[in-house]
Formats: sequence, structure tokens, C-alpha cells
Amino acid sequence: MDGAKIALVLFVSAILQVAVLTEYRAFRSASLVLVVLLCVALLRGSIVGAIAGFGTGLLLDTATLGTLGVTSLLLTVAGFWIGRYGETTARDRLHAPFLSVAVVTVLYAFGQLVLQFMLGEPAPAALVIDGLPLALLVNLLMTVPVYALTRRLFPPRQRADRIGEVQLLG
Amino acid sequence: MGGLVLLSFVLITVSFRSSALDGVQGTAAGILRPFEVGADRVARPFRDAFGWSKGLVDAKSENAKLKAQNRLLLQQLVKTQSAVAENAYLKRQLDYKAAPSEADFTRVNTEVLTNPQSDLDESITIAAGSSDGVGVGDVVRTPSGLVGVVDRVSKSVSRVTLLTDSTSNVNAADVAHPTSVGIVRRGSGSGTLILDHVQKQNFVGVGDMVITAGSLGAGALPSMFPRGIPIGTVMNESDNDINPFHSIQLQPFVDFSSIQSVTVLVPKR
Repeated sequence: MDGAKIALVLFVSAILQVAVLTEYRAFRSASLVLVVLLCVALLRGSIVGAIAGFGTGLLLDTATLGTLGVTSLLLTVAGFWIGRYGETTARDRLHAPFLSVAVVTVLYAFGQLVLQFMLGEPAPAALVIDGLPLALLVNLLMTVPVYALTRRLFPPRQRADRIGEVQLLG
Repeated sequence: MGGLVLLSFVLITVSFRSSALDGVQGTAAGILRPFEVGADRVARPFRDAFGWSKGLVDAKSENAKLKAQNRLLLQQLVKTQSAVAENAYLKRQLDYKAAPSEADFTRVNTEVLTNPQSDLDESITIAAGSSDGVGVGDVVRTPSGLVGVVDRVSKSVSRVTLLTDSTSNVNAADVAHPTSVGIVRRGSGSGTLILDHVQKQNFVGVGDMVITAGSLGAGALPSMFPRGIPIGTVMNESDNDINPFHSIQLQPFVDFSSIQSVTVLVPKR
């Protein structure tokens, strides 16, 4: 059930991103999909984060007829890493979603640049660096409502839910 | 996670090096098309309301400016119509063989599905594909001016590389000084264009309109762009001793960040 909900939320945000939001200059730097994915990964962990990132990336590359796998690779790593952060140190910390979004926004932008460069396509770093402050601002502003919504849709699991069984050794 | 990363690398390799996945990707893009169109339709009233309220702010000053411009354009129109009629008459008399114009192309009007997705992306996807006759290399324009060239086609969706992409180069000419011909390509800033390779002996004035030059004479490799598609106006022109050509900056007629619909010029095959 959770999986279907996550898929639906990411699908809707991906369609919104590619068809509507990117008409506005700010959303060519910022990304709603990235923010939603990070919030879901924080709440549901690394495995869900990685799978959701891969699927969302594939959807974005398909919709734009881009090189398949590029966005998947970046979002898989981002989803896994933030999911792991959520599973370990970030639990119940107020700053966690903001810190995650800020760090990943910067790394995602440079990741895109590096992949573009490695594929032999033009990779003007100045454009990315110029767009970063706006991307950070918009993504951080979006984090407030998006995290509140995703937290409502995917409430943090209770400790008892997460630990099914403990086996003592020795 | 390792498996997914590996799978991503496999996808990148296959997608980048071959066209094996193009069919699957095209079909999937076709499936996504109704969702994108639907999202756009839902967002349109909000976008229109935003545009309407934004337009109210400077409507009064813009109205006065447009009235003055309209008077000037009416005078120019009379002169232009007379010149066009004279030109057509002289061409008939001389049995003149001209470069291909837009009349030699079939027009496919279509909606834009996705705009550029990031600062590094200079492409859009449109809701027309091979089933509509669109092919790789077809020229794309809006009523305002040149947009770019189709670079990838599936059955119902195509991708267009914008004029602002660093790989785009268009043979262009100054309308006021037709011998001033150069290459329009991406400028240093986002969304800016430059007119390069214009010899210093040829004059280019600030405010001049730049259009596609088309094929200059018959050759083995004619230009894919028909003559006369507007590109932009000359914003700035300067010279220095090092550069053998003029340094010309253009203000494009098209706002490449937000294109709603386009016309694909399909050659009559």
C-alpha cells in the first residue's frame, strides 16, 4: 500500500515538474521531484529511497526523451544516501529535511554537470553555479509544505514496526 | 542500491551508444503524453490568471507605446507591400530561381509537452512525431521566430534542440544589410545569442532584424533552414583589433524558457 502511494506521489510530482513547473525559470534550477523524493527517502529509508529514485529518474528521462539512466543514476544515489541518513542520525531532527535538501541540491547540480561532461555534451559550469542560489532557495522553500504533506501521507514508523525480531547470538 | 546503480550505467551506455531503446522510450513517452497534456490543461487557468494580473500593472504605459509603434508600422506596411508586389513582378519577369522559402514546407502545428528541464538542458519535447510526418532535422518555429531543430523522433513525440543549445548553428543575415551574413549561435549568458563570423567590412546596425539566410546559391549541401525566419534583433555591436569579425549580440524574438506551441516545417518529401 505504501509502495503504491509513494509511486503515485512521485508520478504526480514528476508530471507536474516536466509539464507545468519548468515553464518558470526558477524551476529549471530547482526541482519539486528532488524535494519530494528526499522527503520520502527520509521517512521510509534507504531501500525505498533508492528504488523510488531509480523509477522517478527513468520516468523523467522517458518524458523528456533524454539519455535513459542519467537522472536515474543521480536520483538513486540521492534517495539511498538520504534514506540512510534518515535511518541513522536524522531521525526526529527538525533540521534533517532542510539539511538533506540543501546538500543534495548542490551535489545533484554538480552530478548533472559531471555526467553531462563525461557523456561528451556541453557542460557550462558557470550556468550551474549561477543557478545554484535560486535552486537552493526555491527547494528549501518547497521543503516546508512538501515535508509536511509527505509526513502526513507516510507517518514515521514506530520503533516496534521497524524491529520485527531480534536474535541474540552467543 | 548497487544493482540499481549498475542498471543505470547499463541504461546510459545502451541509450547513449545505440538506438536499441529508442522504440521503448518513444512508446513510453507516448503513454505519458496524455498525463502531460492533462497537467498542462489543469494548470492553464492559473497561468492565465497570473499572466492577466501581471499584465495589468504596466498595461497603461504599454498601450501608449504600442499605439505609437502601430502608427509607425502602418507606414512601413504600405512601403513593404508595394516592395513585395514589385519584387514578385520582377522575379516573374526574370524567371528567378530563389532559395527555398517557407512555402516549400508543410506546417505541423503542435503543443509543447515539456520545456527545458534544467540549466544545462536546451531542449523541449513536442506532441508530434513520425506519424505526423515529422523527421530528424526539421525546422521548428513559433509565430515570433526560430526555435530550433528536431533531433529525436518517436511515433507521437519528438525532441527539439533549441537555438540556445551550444551545438546549434544557423546561417543568418541582417535584413537591413543583406550582405552581412554570419552564423547565429549561443551566447555566453543563458538565453542569449550571438551573430558570429560577420566580416568587418559589412555593416550591422543596432536594432536591425536578423533572419535565417537560407541557402546562398545552389550547392551540394543546402541550408536546412528556409530563408526569412526571424531570429532576433541586434542588441549590441562592437569591434576590437584581435577579432577579425564583428562582435554582435542578439536579443532573440522567442522566449526559449516558456514556449507553449510551435510549428514544425516538414519538407515536402
